[in-house]
Amino acid sequence: MTDKNNKIPFNEDNYTHNINRNNERKLDRRGFMKTLVGAAGVFAVSSLPWGVLAAKELNGLGDKKYPKQKIIDVKSLPIGDAVDFYFPGEHDSAILIRLSDEKYVAYQNACTHLRCPVFWKKDEGEMLCPCHHGKFDVETGAPTAGPPRRPLPEIYVKVENGTVFAVGVKRYEA
Amino acid sequence: MKRSYVSVALLLAILMLNIIATQYMVHQYFYENYTNTIGAAIINVILFPAAFFIYKKGVKIND
Ligand code: FES
Repeated sequence: MTDKNNKIPFNEDNYTHNINRNNERKLDRRGFMKTLVGAAGVFAVSSLPWGVLAAKELNGLGDKKYPKQKIIDVKSLPIGDAVDFYFPGEHDSAILIRLSDEKYVAYQNACTHLRCPVFWKKDEGEMLCPCHHGKFDVETGAPTAGPPRRPLPEIYVKVENGTVFAVGVKRYEA
Repeated sequence: MKRSYVSVALLLAILMLNIIATQYMVHQYFYENYTNTIGAAIINVILFPAAFFIYKKGVKIND
């Protein structure tokens, strides 16, 4: 039994025994060079999407454009106060805080924990989420206490002729 | 049967350059240096016709 099954019938570089092609399994110099050229081709093709994405970023197509939107008149927002608004969509609640004469910050105020609305605590100088006492830094939107781990998305604001406008949303960076 | 392995060596060098350019490209993309990304991508694309050319030459000389 052992001897019967353990024999190689004949010496041949062909494991199928019904296809005959000369040197099918041999990788010669030319075949190796072909493989290398093929590899170069694969590299070239796989570079294309990166180039396209990078070009897109360079042209600023990665940033979404929103029409600028009036938030409030400067004179109706005293320093240290906050006002709620909606940007960029009508269900994206946001908050604008006037920190000083010139300095305004705005964030989308859905808490990054479970999306409760975040409030501005004027006397404590920080943003508070009442649901689980998450706190955010008012200057950057970064979480400082409680369950939230991600910063609040920042909204770019611009002041023109005594009116505060929302002009864009900062891209999310993890 | 005198064979030159110069073209094989050149192709291997191109493969090495491909690897370097690809790694550079991906890293520069995430570092947001998009001009460098495009440069590396162009290098990668140009290396393919170069490799093909070297292959053609190598085959002609030796066979
Ligand atoms: S939802 Fe804001 S802390 Fe939980």
